Amino acid sequence: MSQWNAPNLIAAIDESKGLTDKGYTFLDRDQKELFFSWDDLRAEAMKRAAHLRKYGLKKGDRVAMVLPDGEDFVPTFLGAIWAGLVPVPLYPPLSLGKLDSYKDTLVAILNKAEPTYLITLSKMQQVLWAGLTHVKSLKGVITAEELKGPAPEGVSQDPAQVSDDDLAFLQFTSGSTSTPKGVSVTHGNLRANAHAIMVDGLKTDSAVDHGVSWLPLYHDMGLIGFVIAPMFHKVQVTFIPTMAFVRQATLWLETIHRVRGTITFAPNFAYALATKRTKAEQLAKWDLSCVKAFGCGAEPINSGTMRTFVETMSKAKLKPEALLPCYGMAEATLAISFIALDETLSTDVVDTEAYQKQRAAEPVHVSKLAEGKAQEFVNCGKTFPGHEVGIFDDQGNRLGERKIGEIQVRGPSVAKGYFRDPDATERTFGGGWLKTGDLGYLANGNVYIVGRKKDIIIINGRNYDPQRIEWLVDDVAGVRKGSSVAFSKPGASSEELIVVLEARTASETELEALKESVKQRIVEQMQLTPADVVVCPVGSLPKTSSGKLQRSKTRQQYLDGTVGKEGNRSLGSNAEKVVLARHVAMSLLGRSRHRARRIAEHALEVKSVTDALGKLKLAGDYVSNRIGKLF
Amino acid sequence: MATVHIPTLFAQAALEVSGKKIDTITGQTVIAKLGLDSVAVMELVAHFEEKLHIRMPDEDLAKVQTVADLGNLVKRLMPPGSEVTW
Repeated sequence: MSQWNAPNLIAAIDESKGLTDKGYTFLDRDQKELFFSWDDLRAEAMKRAAHLRKYGLKKGDRVAMVLPDGEDFVPTFLGAIWAGLVPVPLYPPLSLGKLDSYKDTLVAILNKAEPTYLITLSKMQQVLWAGLTHVKSLKGVITAEELKGPAPEGVSQDPAQVSDDDLAFLQFTSGSTSTPKGVSVTHGNLRANAHAIMVDGLKTDSAVDHGVSWLPLYHDMGLIGFVIAPMFHKVQVTFIPTMAFVRQATLWLETIHRVRGTITFAPNFAYALATKRTKAEQLAKWDLSCVKAFGCGAEPINSGTMRTFVETMSKAKLKPEALLPCYGMAEATLAISFIALDETLSTDVVDTEAYQKQRAAEPVHVSKLAEGKAQEFVNCGKTFPGHEVGIFDDQGNRLGERKIGEIQVRGPSVAKGYFRDPDATERTFGGGWLKTGDLGYLANGNVYIVGRKKDIIIINGRNYDPQRIEWLVDDVAGVRKGSSVAFSKPGASSEELIVVLEARTASETELEALKESVKQRIVEQMQLTPADVVVCPVGSLPKTSSGKLQRSKTRQQYLDGTVGKEGNRSLGSNAEKVVLARHVAMSLLGRSRHRARRIAEHALEVKSVTDALGKLKLAGDYVSNRIGKLF
Repeated sequence: MATVHIPTLFAQAALEVSGKKIDTITGQTVIAKLGLDSVAVMELVAHFEEKLHIRMPDEDLAKVQTVADLGNLVKRLMPPGSEVTW
């Protein structure tokens, strides 16, 4: 039993008083450390809460946060919580040429969340301003630099009073741009999920455990897993900037080795990347025997990737049981199930025939895999005490052991719904169960995920998960990894399988040979012949802002006969420059408009002619100054 | 005095990071259209930083669209007198 039993996050922050030996350490890009003890974090939260209250912010008001670095993000987030505000963490602009789509997403999210203020770095302001005038609710921008300053006089630093049902923060999921959905996470949800993760799942001990994370803090796994849950249970954490990990993936394992980390989590792709980038001399130097949990979740787990990681890192003394596949989603706060700490990665090998036709997972011998007659699924463990996982068919009937259907969850971690979106809330949270949209089954209480419900391909009465077909295609020599899409289209007698992929081919013969190998691979492994294989130029398939291929959009383009054409349409540098120029212009306009609004507000208070002239001159100086600087 | 040819360095970096041989890079090349995923792009940035001993701030990178934009950024960050071309 954990010695920490704070009823909510504010109380957990308050329990930090006087604890000066451990806390959160933030590495910067040069690996310089910035340490905040628990006690420092509490003091920072109080101070920043006072700053925020000075702006007139009060309990329940939303504040958007675009803060890329942990040392700014974490104390500010805790300060907003301390003041009873509802932080809305947002991802910072992605690098290299994605600014336009970023701005659209940002504005859509802000208009849904309706924050009163946006907190960001002063250097980010200019990049963000272009979109902000489209957000009516915003009164202005607060800079992180300002929050660092000494607490304002005469403003309360007392903790807000909250109940379990009060909103703690909004977690926006990576849904579509036009209709972003913010998960309403309550204070009760946070306590329940923090307990599930830190006590039931990881059995943490604050004297021993040490988390290491490079996960983005605007994402549930990074924020709840490494900021909120560890604050509740006082587990120290070392944070690596996400961009530093991406730039140099081995920094993750290097840091674990150096600080003797015991707990870390990452999605599947990070394990692949870390394995690829690790060099022999690093393996010889590292000792990863300290790690008790290498959590893997947030995207489909590829058993091959994980086995390669375990095998490679065994040379660095990694214990195989440290690998911890898990299942979760933002709508359930974060975690839904973990495998036990002493278990290692395990998979279930089931009969393909029964899987595709009867929607049942019948275990068969592993040798059937090589014959292409079986499917392999990763065991994601059991759900936590007080929580329940059920499998349901489309009619809402609960299914039994090893029957495949939609995974649904209930319990204290399931969020309240989507913020100001009753229809979507009813669809997903209605009826007392959270409908995850994932297909899977239960065996001995363990959760197995087979795919996403909306993507499932049904051909001749058989069910196929596109992800599995795409993984097969990825293995074919010449195919760009992670750049294939499988979907179905109506055919003569049944749906037909279509595969679209990106590759570089030099000649017609090479192109035909590649198509043939892809078909061959799918036939061998799935006993399914694709009706069409389309090879497109590299970079031409539609992607989401996070770089994932968009299945439904690719399918639509295929049906419209436009797939792969986008990349060929050469925009030329001028078109791109126009986009950028528009940005700069919008940014300027946005700033001047805001400034004008502020001046107008001030003008109402003008007491004398001199005062008015002074204010106008200030405005003029500002505008000429900005324009002079930018052009 | 350092001399840097951005397209050459870019091609080297892309080859190292993603194993892709890209040989038609000019100043007008739009980076987002090269089909490198977002992780590869950031690794590529790291490659530039290491080779040239510079630090490219995230907020500047957000505004980079073409190889020429990258060149301009590199030029600004390199010690005075360095020759940066594309």
